Parts: sequence; C-alpha cells; structure tokens
Amino acid sequence: MFNVRLKGILLLTLVAAMLLVATACGGGAVAPTSAPSGSQATSVPGGTQATSAPVATNAPAASGGTQVINLYLDDDTNITDWITNKMAPAFQKQFPQYKVNLTIVRGVGGGDNDVADRALAAMQTNSDPQVDLIGFDANSKPNLVQAGLWLKLDETNVPNSKNLAKGVKTSDFSMPYRGSQVLLAYDSTKVKESEVPHTFAELITWIKAHPGQFVYCRPDKGGSGGNFVIRAIYEVTGKDPSKFKPGKPDPGLVADFSKAWALLRDIHPAIYDSGSYPSGNTQTLTLLGNGSVSMASVWSDQALQGLAKGSLPPAIKLVQFTDLPFPGGDSYLSIPKNSRNTQGALAFVNFLLTSDVQVSVVKDLGGFPAVDWSTLPKELQQQYTSVIASSVPNWPGGDWTSARDKGWYENVATNIKQGAP
Amino acid sequence: MATARVTITQPAPAAPFRRDLSGILPYLLISPPVIIMTLLIFFPAAQAVIETLFLQDAKSGQTSVSLQNYSKFFADPVLVANLQFTVFVTLATVALLFVVGFPLALYLRFSKSRIAAAVQVLALFPLFVPGVILAFALIRFLGTHGMLDTLLRLIGFAGYNTPYLHPQGIVLALVWEHIPFTVLVLTAGLRQVEDAVVESARDVGANEWQIFTRILLPLAMRSAVIVFCLNVIGVFGAFTIPYLLGPAQPMMMGVSMQQTFNGYQDRIGALTQAVLTFLVCATVGILYVRTVTRPRR
Repeated sequence: MFNVRLKGILLLTLVAAMLLVATACGGGAVAPTSAPSGSQATSVPGGTQATSAPVATNAPAASGGTQVINLYLDDDTNITDWITNKMAPAFQKQFPQYKVNLTIVRGVGGGDNDVADRALAAMQTNSDPQVDLIGFDANSKPNLVQAGLWLKLDETNVPNSKNLAKGVKTSDFSMPYRGSQVLLAYDSTKVKESEVPHTFAELITWIKAHPGQFVYCRPDKGGSGGNFVIRAIYEVTGKDPSKFKPGKPDPGLVADFSKAWALLRDIHPAIYDSGSYPSGNTQTLTLLGNGSVSMASVWSDQALQGLAKGSLPPAIKLVQFTDLPFPGGDSYLSIPKNSRNTQGALAFVNFLLTSDVQVSVVKDLGGFPAVDWSTLPKELQQQYTSVIASSVPNWPGGDWTSARDKGWYENVATNIKQGAP
Repeated sequence: MATARVTITQPAPAAPFRRDLSGILPYLLISPPVIIMTLLIFFPAAQAVIETLFLQDAKSGQTSVSLQNYSKFFADPVLVANLQFTVFVTLATVALLFVVGFPLALYLRFSKSRIAAAVQVLALFPLFVPGVILAFALIRFLGTHGMLDTLLRLIGFAGYNTPYLHPQGIVLALVWEHIPFTVLVLTAGLRQVEDAVVESARDVGANEWQIFTRILLPLAMRSAVIVFCLNVIGVFGAFTIPYLLGPAQPMMMGVSMQQTFNGYQDRIGALTQAVLTFLVCATVGILYVRTVTRPRR
C-alpha cells in the first residue's frame, strides 16, 4: 500500500519536473532577453538576470513647484549611471522647474516594452500612465503606433533635432539620442598599417590570406556579429541599405541572401579555430584582447570603453570601411501622448541633443553621437576620424533578422545542406 | 495549531474532531504544491503538447489533429543533427561521469584517511559554482592563449587544441558540473554494502577486481541507475554551458529551443522541440521511477 502510494507520488513529481522542460518554451515563459543589435546588451543566458526589482508604480507627487519627469529605461548600467549621475543633475540645474525620476526596468519582465504596453492600457482607460518618457523605438511595435500612443517628435517640438545625423531618425514617433556602430578592430602589432582593410572586399581577401586570425560572433548572440553578417548581405546585394524596408521582408532580396551565405561559407575555414564562432560580443573582445585573433568585428562603444579601461591592450586600433560602413544601432526615446508632463519630457529630449551632451556620449559612453559629427567640436572629430562614417546604415530588424539568423545557422555554421523546401 | 493544543488538553470531546482532521490534514498539507504544479506546470505543459498536435488550416480556419509539426522537425536535417548531437553529448558526458565518479566514490567509501575528507570537499565544490561562472572561467582557462595553453607552452608543448567552441568543451564542463551529484549518490550506494560482505569475499580468495564486479557493482546497481537517469535528464536539457562553450552548429536542444523561440519567433517549432526533449527525458524518467520504487530485496 505504502509502496503504491510512494510510486504514485514519485511519478507525479517526476512528470512535473520534466514537463518543466516543455513549459519553459510554452506561453509566457520569461526567456533571456537577447538584444541582437543592442550594443550594450551582453546577453547572459540562464536566468542570471537581476530579478524583480519592483517597478515603481507611484511617482513622487510634484512638490514645491517642481514637475516630475517619469523616465523609464532598461539599458545597461553604464547608460543608467550616466543618466542618473551626469545627465539628470545637469538638466535639473539648467531647468530647476523639473525633476527627472528615472526608473530602471532592466531585467524586469519585458523592460521598456512592458512600460509602453502599460502606457497604452492607461490611455484606453483614461488614467494616468505615470510615464512621460520611455527608452523605446516606436518601429519595434507597430501596433502601438497604430493605436496612436506616441507623440510625434520633430523640429517643432524638439528644436535640437535639426542637427541629427542623416538617416538616424527612422520614425516620426521616436527620437534617437545616441548610437553605436560596428567597427573593425585590429591588433596593430600584428597587422601592418598597409594591410589594414578599408573595404569589405579587402577584408575578405585579408581573412583568406590569414587563416584563423579573424573572428565575428554568432549573428543572433551579439550585434557585432549580426552587423558583420548584415554588411555581407549588403555587399552581395549592391551595397544599397535603402532596399531593406521595415515590415515584411522582400522575398526577392531574401533569396539573394544565398550569395552572402556562399561568401561567408567561403571564409568559414579561415575564421578563428577553423570556423568557431563565439556566442557574444564580450567573448569576441576576449579573443581579440588575449591575442587569439588579430582582427574582429566589434561594437564601437564596447571597444572604446575596453581601451579606456585597459581590458583591451592599447595596440588595438579601430577602423571603419570607406565604401559602405558597417551598420549600427541607435537608442531612441518616445513620449506617450497621455503623458502628464509632455513639456518636461520634450525639454529633456531636447537637452540630450545639445552639443555638450552629445560630446559626453562620445567621451563618457564611448558611443556615437545622434547628431551630425560636423556640429561637434573640431578636436573631437579629428580624434575619431578613422571611425567616423558618413552614414550609418540601418537594418530594419524584425523578420529580416530572423531570415538572417536562420540562413546563417543553416548555411554558414554547418555543413548540412537544407533539403528541398 | 490552536486546535491541536485543544485536543491535547481536552482529549475526550475532541476525539471525533481529531479523526476528521487527521483525514484531511495530509491533503491540506500537500495541496499547495499540488495546486501550484497543476496550475503552473501541468496545465500549460498539457496545453503545449496539445497545441503541437493540432493544425489550423489557414484558409478555412478549421483545426485538425496532425503530426505535421513533428514530421517537419524530422524533415529538417539541421534540427535532426541537433537532436543527434544532444544524444551524443549526453551519452559521452554520462559515460565520462561514471569513469570519473566510480573511482572517486570507491575511494571515499573505503578510505578512512584525512585526505579523503579533503577529497570529498573538493568533489562537492562544483555544487556551489553557478553554471555561468563556470562557463566564463573555463573560457579563460581552456581558451586559446588561456592559462592551460600558456602553461603547456612553458613546458614546450605548442600543439594545444582548445575545446572551447567545440563539443569537447560542453562535455568537459558538464562533467565538472555533475561530479558532486554522481559522487554523492554512488558513495551512498557503496556505503550500503557492509564491510563484512567485502571481507568475507576477500576471505574466500576474491581479488579486488572480482570484489568490484561481483559484489560492489551489483549491490550498488540501484544508485548507479539513479545516477545514470538523473544525469541524463540534467545533461539532456542543459542550456547555459552548451550556449557559452559549444559550437555554433550543431547545438544542443536547450540552445536550439531558445533560438527557435526567441530568435526565429517560431513558438510552435520550439514547443515541438520541447515535447520531443520531454519524451526522451520521460523515457529515462520511467526507468528511474521503476528503480526507485522497486522493493529492496
């Protein structure tokens, strides 16, 4: 009798334990957030994220004539620290009537996505969203745009946006305020100045001539590898990023991806350790830093910060292609229409686009300015001359990215040829 | 609590009440975990399994039972390679675990020295190291120009091939991670073999090898099967280690599921893989349940 019952309980527990595997992929499971093109995103797998810092739901009431600007960000620590310690105090000094109340939603559920959904829910029930500004790219969720959640942002309400670099503003409803771009990093003690590639074609030639000395990470695991693959796709489709429009991918163009796979498959044996691809931006930097490879595709901000902090040796140099640069990623801010402090939010966005702040983006964050380099001090321009690109190609993301990753895994990373569809 | 105190001070009138309580109490005690398991695990998992078995026709909107999701999985050479790879890595890891774990467990069972205590602490150490930390530590230790590579170069060996980003990397890290459990259970199993049995075998002239194969191994079989089953289940569904240390392709099922779900936004595809993974683990699980619940002879 006891044994039968024990058996039953054990079976129950066991089945439960193993069904966990199934549920992990079922509806609503919190998957590790991997931000393929987020420059700062060092996606760590396996539930190591900071969990459940409670989302502040009630903002401190405006007191003593100061109005609170409720800002939500899910960026990495370097960005939130920069806002908290530098930008918010500087802004409040200039505009004493405002107080920036930053809530960090990094690793809390869906981060900024959830906050945006909350703002929409508040709009539908006509209640206070308690959100004035979100680190959010309106393009990433078209349904919110259709629902009319976002305030239109342009030069009339954000005057400093007149200085924006060409092509960085991709939506009427979001304002870019900092960027990052993928660059070629090389060890100047091993790569002669005359050999440094300046075009994608030259890079391919260099890789083949120096087997094992180049590496890029898996495209879905880090943007430094993802944008390398996108650059290869641009290369074989006529170097025209404007062909890639947001929304459903153009089947004709996707069919042309096969040419990129042929190109990348061709250099596959010459990649680090006969075709080994690390699983993230950081791991690529480690290989470059310890001398395992002498060239790699890296994010500008991570490489510049690595050089500043000494985790990369000073011999590492950075260069951008002169024909068509590597793509990059920008960070955006959006204002929900139902914000109770639209003026304050607009003032803060405008403040972030001033020259002083944009210089700080370069100097303190190792990022790229959202404004045109020509509006920044001459010395700064000269210092970064090797990495300044005339334009930053922008990849539309969404289903285009899925097509890129699936194609890469099935055609480049493996010998297995896909069967007839 | 309060009622319990009452029953003690006034036993006679509370007697029928106590009988009632003793009938319900066990169910009350097990109800929170059962409710949680039902709502958070059984229900969504059953839903997941059912979802993979039904197919909605895009035109008519009618649903029908179909194995198409599964035939699609087995028609995809990349996914089949992932499954085979997972089986291969799992078997290699578990085999290595026995090779490493059995001698350790035998030593810990029979040695009474002070060193044995230190060895035990060392064998249990991986229990306290999180997988992510282990993975990044191994990248630095085993990678090219890592510590091992540098040390080998110092003694003049230059032909080092790093296991990082190769299947060997996964196997190595998973073995390291699962040693404590293996050694704990095997040692416990061996402890149940009484010294007298071993000594009497020795008295009738059995050599060490015979003692191991004829006495210790059969008597510790139960623990060995438990170690096998739980290690297979643990390794088969591993994620962090294969994600960080393994090759881009083929990948283990855990990594493949995450990628299908997150990267390709293909929920049904990921569910199908999850159900298949569950089936493999469940088969091993049945063996486990049978072993554990079988009455001892």
